[in-house]
Amino acid sequence: MIQLFNVTKSYGKESVALREMTVHVEKGEFVYVTGPSGAGKTTFLSMLYGATKPTRGQILINGTNITRMTGRQIPYLRRKIGVVFQDFKLLGSRTVYENVAFALEAQGKKRYEVSKKVYQALKEVGLEHRLQRRPIELSGGEQQRIAIARALVVDPLILLADEPSGNLDQEVTYEIMELFKHAHARGTTVLLATHDHSLYKRFPKRVLGLEDGRLIMDHQP
Amino acid sequence: MLENIRYFIRRALRNMRQWPVLCSAAILTMAVALATVATFFLVVINIQGLASSWSEEVQVVAYFQQPPSRNQLAPLVRKVEAFPDVKQVIYVSKTEALKRFKTRLGDDAGLLEGVSRDLLPASLEVTLKAKSRNRAGVERVVSLLKKDSRFNDLRFGQEWLERFENFVDLLKFVGLILGSFFLFAALFIVSNTIKLTLYARRDELEIMALVGATKRFIQIPFLLEGALQGLISGLLSLGFLGLSFKLLVQKSLQSFWLTPVGFDPVFLAGNQQLILVVCGVMLGLLGSLFSLRKFVRL
Repeated sequence: MIQLFNVTKSYGKESVALREMTVHVEKGEFVYVTGPSGAGKTTFLSMLYGATKPTRGQILINGTNITRMTGRQIPYLRRKIGVVFQDFKLLGSRTVYENVAFALEAQGKKRYEVSKKVYQALKEVGLEHRLQRRPIELSGGEQQRIAIARALVVDPLILLADEPSGNLDQEVTYEIMELFKHAHARGTTVLLATHDHSLYKRFPKRVLGLEDGRLIMDHQP
Repeated sequence: MLENIRYFIRRALRNMRQWPVLCSAAILTMAVALATVATFFLVVINIQGLASSWSEEVQVVAYFQQPPSRNQLAPLVRKVEAFPDVKQVIYVSKTEALKRFKTRLGDDAGLLEGVSRDLLPASLEVTLKAKSRNRAGVERVVSLLKKDSRFNDLRFGQEWLERFENFVDLLKFVGLILGSFFLFAALFIVSNTIKLTLYARRDELEIMALVGATKRFIQIPFLLEGALQGLISGLLSLGFLGLSFKLLVQKSLQSFWLTPVGFDPVFLAGNQQLILVVCGVMLGLLGSLFSLRKFVRL
């Protein structure tokens, strides 16, 4: 599903975010990407959804070389990938429903299809009763659930989560992890960047360890 | 397709409702910019109108050595009227000339009592077409009239004409410089305001790109919004300009002692008003387009 071949990303001569990284992730796998701050976790994920291009090396997603994609092709790549961030990235001026519907509208889906899928997605994350509320009126955990619903509503092949529990307490984090596990159980490939050791101890899966931009560990439980 | 258009319009309107302060700031900035440029344009067209009414004074007077007989006069007038630069030819007989002179003297007309009507020569007053009311046009007419030996003197206010032409040239130059300055200032302010309004909404643009929206999908509602704001600004500036013109300019000019007699200030013509509104739409549209380029990068 995801193949990286000797991928290097540098910002100028001094700053190298990723060095010669080669890694393969199979379809339907659940993988943690770990490492201290500045190890290159965010750069690694952002290259997978086309937000940054590698300086050297090739990245294949579902057999397509995304390093050769033009700006026009990137949106179509992103439609296959759901992304969840630490800071949720929700639109404060829109309702919960609108925030989730946005992902489907961007793909040009019909109105009736949008409302049906949005309701289902919000039901899965347990927020179907909060449709007309604004994100700011909800707790951090609930906001992250909206972001997860937005990522999953498009039935993505891959779900990328960059420190999704960074702003949440332990109990809420475990609830959020259950949502990722459900998505994984349905066949979605999940990559979750975290520096929280307790997560992969409690929910053991494959772990990719990064340090100073290098892949220093690839551990299967 | 129709559903897409409806969706884009709905989103543009919803965006405007959701960001009332940003939206009003953009509309007001554009309205002020448009009103400034339009006011300047209004001043220019009125000064031009005034200059063109002054230019009606540009005429050539050809004095006869001997007044022509009635049989000679009609073909002569027709011949001069056929000159390409000539609009109208009026024959002023000796009697008519004396009568005009007496009128001009007013209370002192008594001085002319007993004076014979032969005192003043008969003449042709040649008025030029609007486009020929300049030095070149006058010189062309004079050179043609000089070929006719029946005229012994030609007057055409050469010094006045030169000063008038210099004034019109200066007016055009100042108009061009000031007009360009106003236009650039307006464009600069408008594009920066739109940039700021988009900057405040950069999260929205980022999230749209993140969920796989194409560039066109992201841009169209913003462009529609810009065009709609531009339309409102155009109408606002037109309304403001119309009201100020009616309530302030017309009244104050009528009571101003320097205002030339018979000068009636004109407002923008129908097509010029339409151009102002269309300029508003274009300003909003292009301002949004250039600013979006900066923020929407895929």
